[in-house]
Amino acid sequence: MVDSAEPVVQTAGLCKTFKDFWRRPRVHAVKDLDLTIRPGEVFGLLGPNGSGKSTTIKMLLGLLYPSKGRIAVFGKPPTDVAVKARIGFLPEESYLYRFLVAHETLDFYGRLFRIPGKIRRERIDRLLDMVGLRHEAKRPIGEYSKGMARRIGLAQALINDPEFLILDEPTAGLDPMGVRQIKDLIRKLGDMGKTILLSSHMLADVEDVCDRVTVLYGGQQMAAGDLETLLARQDKTLITTDSLSEETIDQVRRLIRRLEDKDIGVSYPRNRLEDFFLTIVRDAEAADVHTSGARGGGELPAFLAKPAETGAKALLDSLISAAERPAPEPILVETPAGPTDDEAARTVVDRLAREADGPRETDQVAETAQETIIPAETLGSREVEADRGVIDSLLGDADKPEDGA
Amino acid sequence: MNPCWAVARQTVAESLRMRIAWVFLVLIGLIVFVLPFSITGDSSLTGAVQSFLQYGLSGTAILLSVLTIFMSRTLSEELVQKQILLLLTKPLPRWQFVLGKWLGLTILNAMFLAGAGLSIFLMVLYIIWTVPPINAADEQSLASEVLVARHSIRFTPPDFDKTAEREYERRLEEGAYRDVGELSRERFIQILKAKQQAQWRTVTPLGRRTFRFHNVLCDRSPGHRIQLRYYTEIANYAPDEIFRSIWDFGNRAQGTLLYRAETHHVVGRFHTIPAPARTVADDHTLTVNFYNQDSRLVPGHVRTANVIQFLESREVELLFVVGTFGGNLVRVLVILMLKLMFLAAVSLMFTTVLSFPVACMTSFAVYACAGGRKYILESLDFATDDRSTFIDAVRHVGSSLIDLDTQTFFTALQESMMHVIVFVFGTLHYVFPDFGYFDPVETFVSGRNVSLVWVLEAVRDLGLVQTLGALGLAMLFFHRREVAEISV
Repeated sequence: MVDSAEPVVQTAGLCKTFKDFWRRPRVHAVKDLDLTIRPGEVFGLLGPNGSGKSTTIKMLLGLLYPSKGRIAVFGKPPTDVAVKARIGFLPEESYLYRFLVAHETLDFYGRLFRIPGKIRRERIDRLLDMVGLRHEAKRPIGEYSKGMARRIGLAQALINDPEFLILDEPTAGLDPMGVRQIKDLIRKLGDMGKTILLSSHMLADVEDVCDRVTVLYGGQQMAAGDLETLLARQDKTLITTDSLSEETIDQVRRLIRRLEDKDIGVSYPRNRLEDFFLTIVRDAEAADVHTSGARGGGELPAFLAKPAETGAKALLDSLISAAERPAPEPILVETPAGPTDDEAARTVVDRLAREADGPRETDQVAETAQETIIPAETLGSREVEADRGVIDSLLGDADKPEDGA
Repeated sequence: MNPCWAVARQTVAESLRMRIAWVFLVLIGLIVFVLPFSITGDSSLTGAVQSFLQYGLSGTAILLSVLTIFMSRTLSEELVQKQILLLLTKPLPRWQFVLGKWLGLTILNAMFLAGAGLSIFLMVLYIIWTVPPINAADEQSLASEVLVARHSIRFTPPDFDKTAEREYERRLEEGAYRDVGELSRERFIQILKAKQQAQWRTVTPLGRRTFRFHNVLCDRSPGHRIQLRYYTEIANYAPDEIFRSIWDFGNRAQGTLLYRAETHHVVGRFHTIPAPARTVADDHTLTVNFYNQDSRLVPGHVRTANVIQFLESREVELLFVVGTFGGNLVRVLVILMLKLMFLAAVSLMFTTVLSFPVACMTSFAVYACAGGRKYILESLDFATDDRSTFIDAVRHVGSSLIDLDTQTFFTALQESMMHVIVFVFGTLHYVFPDFGYFDPVETFVSGRNVSLVWVLEAVRDLGLVQTLGALGLAMLFFHRREVAEISV
């Protein structure tokens, strides 16, 4: 059982040196790495190629032994079999048996966890549904595309309903549908109180899902901390709203110039290619177009969707710790932001707009929304009430003809 | 299910999907199902069955041994293809992984061997059914000397140690050894013993020898028979190369049945004489008297003085049925299986530390050494006979270097290398099993019993000591191995 006081992973002065044929030290892959991963958090391990991410993960899994330093996973050495029963691992490549079919593969890994036959079969079916490969379950893995094999790799990582999930480049080789699914899955598992270690080159993916990150370079830790803190930017303000008329924009510009003596930039965002692509794929699936490839995945299997018995306390702890964390800024601030920030900002603006204008058809708004991005220099740090005041004044001003107009 | 069994199951599944397994299965199939139609032996039914059994079982054993060594690549493949990186992140202790791999190979071998054994058994029935015997003796020979499991007993020779010692004391009293220098008492007794043995094994014309067998635990009920198998050399050949003799079974004093067999046998071959089992006494002893009935006594034959010699290397033996052909075949397969289990363990052991081609070659070397252990040891003994010690040889190398004597250097170097080889193999032979000793095929083909004691001996030596030893080493090597280690 996870103890809130006990980190899932803790390393101290961790070093790994690779040697040459004559046992001379050649590459210092990891140097003095102090890492702590707390229960229930989604932790990102970032770094360029050769920065020591995979080596660190392999040491956490007991596949490599540290040259120096200590590792504890769930408070025990990583080679402890009991520890491994609580871990799910998706390696950077699909190291699966090419001659086994998908069903046999999952069955084999399920047996390694001593999962009883009936439960194992149920889980396999659910996982195959989840990764969208139920209809290809009887094909040997060797015939799969890289992305399909990756999906099976993900399924095997979840077969034991792990408390700690290690994902090494989980989105590599996946189509946008798979990438979206993996990110959704990580979010959901994170919400369920699972601890997740994510190593990825896809910075946008990491940014979307991680609570905390560590950036490695040359085997050393260069930066670490909460993503919110690390990425916080105080010099820009982003305001997002439904499409505005040129006249309104002009008024806003004048208002801000008058109040803050600052200029604004206005842009009209496009739909994201990811959304466009997913729409096409979903339409094809709905039309039942034949494919030998992966299909859109299903929902999170029930056995994963409910907190594990042993993880109940962990979930509780994670909820408590989440409650103790500082609340995110409730207003449309902080640039530059990825989709998450955009969505959060939009939500706040919508809410504020609804309060001002009355109820709207949310779906319709979402489809037709145009975003107006208003950079500013100082608005980001204001209190909610102050921001509400600005919006109110904006709306109020827009309703009234400007002096001299 | 224990993860170990999951690995074993997966190994079997993997092996059965490898082409090489099917290639070997086809080869075994050719041996078992095609060979009977292409061999005839000595054109007799007995010869055909014996040849089939000999080639069928030996061929199957060799092919499965080679396949076992090749199949050890299942572990090295996992290291190379990196499936191991995923596997060892599961709650699977490393020793269980190695054990699972070995179990998988063992199950595979058991399946193949059982299939081959059953096929061989059925093919023997098919041969008997389709090939007619050349005569009644052929049919009898097949039934009583091949399709049976016979226990073999060697006779108990007289105590030559005592007789030689008595002779020595007698000669000593007579003063025969007064001027013989430094020869020891033991040496004199040894010479006398060898002389007495040679005399005993030589039967002069009209001479007699008595062979006594103990522990003849055969079924003595009416109808059951025993067999005496012998081989003789002869000093003077008769023109027809036939020698005539009389074998008397039983002991009147012990109240057994008396049975006389008059034989006219070709010299220089093994012969079997059947006799009633009731000639064996209640105390499970059997007395057999041999009479060298000289051809001079037979009217119409050329007079030759046949001196018969019973060779120690081809000893007279008594045989009697103790089991069935089928049971015997099962025991043969068990011993062959134990050898395959050892090979699987050794191959896996090498695979845990060496890359596949090197591990494979090393395993073949072990297989060859285990098979020819006896001959290698004999030749090494011969090669190092009367040679200097290793230290002497090294000293010669050193001194020849100082003296710049090239010829001496190479001779001394060769000598020291021989010492190294002898030392290495002399040490390793304790580790290698003696596949030559545990070769039950010839015994089986000659209709002899592959005894349970022999099987248990194989279980102890091949199974418990050598196989478990190799497996233990494999687990030890693999336990500390960094499977994700890279050398830069």
